[in-house]
Amino acid sequence: MRKKNDFLFTKDKTRFYFPWMCWLLVFIGTFICGGGMLVYNSLSSWQKGVSESLTVQINTYDEEGRDRGDLVGMDIEKALSILRTTPGVIGASVLTEEQMNELMAPWIGADVAINSLPIPKLIDVAVDPENPPFLEQLKMDLSVHVPAATMDSHRIWLAKLIKLSNHILQFIIFILGLLALTISFTVIYTTRSTLKIHESIIKLVHMMGAKDFFITNRYAFYNSKHAFVGSALGTICALPLLWVVILFFQRTSDTVLQTQFSLIQWGILAGIPIIVALLSFITTFKTVLSYLRRFL
Amino acid sequence: MTSNETLSPVIAEFNGVSFRYKGNADVLKDIHFSLAPGSFHFMTGESGAGKTSLLGLLYLDHLPTKGRVRLFGQTVDSLSRSAKAMIRRQIGVVFQDYRLLDHLTAFDNVALPLRLIGEKEAEIRRHVSELLTWVGLEKQMRSYPQELSGGEQQRIAIARAVIHKPALLLADEPTGNVDDAMAKRLLHLFLELNKLGTTVVVATHNMELVKTFKFPQLHLTHGKLDLIPPYSSYTEMASKLLNKGSKNA
Repeated sequence: MRKKNDFLFTKDKTRFYFPWMCWLLVFIGTFICGGGMLVYNSLSSWQKGVSESLTVQINTYDEEGRDRGDLVGMDIEKALSILRTTPGVIGASVLTEEQMNELMAPWIGADVAINSLPIPKLIDVAVDPENPPFLEQLKMDLSVHVPAATMDSHRIWLAKLIKLSNHILQFIIFILGLLALTISFTVIYTTRSTLKIHESIIKLVHMMGAKDFFITNRYAFYNSKHAFVGSALGTICALPLLWVVILFFQRTSDTVLQTQFSLIQWGILAGIPIIVALLSFITTFKTVLSYLRRFL
Repeated sequence: MTSNETLSPVIAEFNGVSFRYKGNADVLKDIHFSLAPGSFHFMTGESGAGKTSLLGLLYLDHLPTKGRVRLFGQTVDSLSRSAKAMIRRQIGVVFQDYRLLDHLTAFDNVALPLRLIGEKEAEIRRHVSELLTWVGLEKQMRSYPQELSGGEQQRIAIARAVIHKPALLLADEPTGNVDDAMAKRLLHLFLELNKLGTTVVVATHNMELVKTFKFPQLHLTHGKLDLIPPYSSYTEMASKLLNKGSKNA
């Protein structure tokens, strides 16, 4: 038996296709969103490690193995001067003998005179994590004015990677935006088809005194219900697959990708069907309302 | 809306109303008439005279291209969409082509106006069952329109138009597909509603009904409206005139 409030709708094909379209789009969306979150998590952890400090080395021996003597002190002064005037650098200080001993102890032992070894002088540079220095420029300045100075190259590489990852994240957001747009267009197309199919019914109930809000609400609930069912199925299918991907990465010992979602992120992924249902509700509401304006 | 408008005693008032469909000539020309509460009118005229268009103006399917239409004391041009919907709820319409919903049973078709106004299901069941019994379709309650004959469909359409006891009932050829006995029975249903205060306008070609039920006619000829007094009045008037003539002779 029909539900008493179901009188606005007959059985039509859009009723069948629409949830499946939502299923497919949400399946892809959940997967991309999950992947995006993993990239974001990795990005955050790398950024934390990279952005807090930086090390500059001043070689104490030249390329032929000769002690550079007083030149080292001059280079340190020049390097400190460059570093301290670089925007984004909060502070720069040369590591003391004690600090160097402590640093090298795991490799050479605690009782070795560090000054007798050909170990470079290290300058610890504190950087502003909110406004980090432009590392490429800093590296160039140092190489011009202090040729014996080198900056930790892996940090520059990581900074590049972070930049790339940021672009990847922006791309993922763009793709998700496109998916949201596709869902909206699907809803508009489906709603228009359904309205066309049900035109005689709508005209009749409109003539009987049904208010615009009554009709738009019915359609919006009808579509959002189907969107929710399709999307929930899409999420249900995508999450286990995402889980399998995470397991795969976790078993790869040298993975650099973060494989954990935070509770909030799990919540966002599980909330996708609600977001799609809401999007569907708003889009349907507006589409039906503009359609009804054609009638007196 | 002013308080004067709400207190207006007239159900419908047409002042110099003309109407045309886009790009066509006037279908209705300079129409003047009013419907008092509780009145009963037949609407007569040849096919194409403008009966359906005039009914369309009465149930707010169209707006006049010229002149002013007032329904229930309100000028229709200035009404909000919501106010128009509220006016439509006070009108019951029997369409010539019935406009039953094929995906609903006879019961659900008749229940439609009550569901739109949010009537309780128990009340809906009671009222719809009573009315369907009255129009002789109690056994067809669960049938779909396509399973019913033309006459049965017409009775369903009439039941749907009157179920919510409208203040104005408009019927476009409501007896076109039923035999004379059923036509009279349906007209009696309209009369019962009319006695309860419903204003009724019945568009018909059936002059037998017009003669039997003796109500004034809104007669349309090529878009022009004439108000013809009840059949009995003018037959009496005609016979008086004839008598006068014969006496004079």
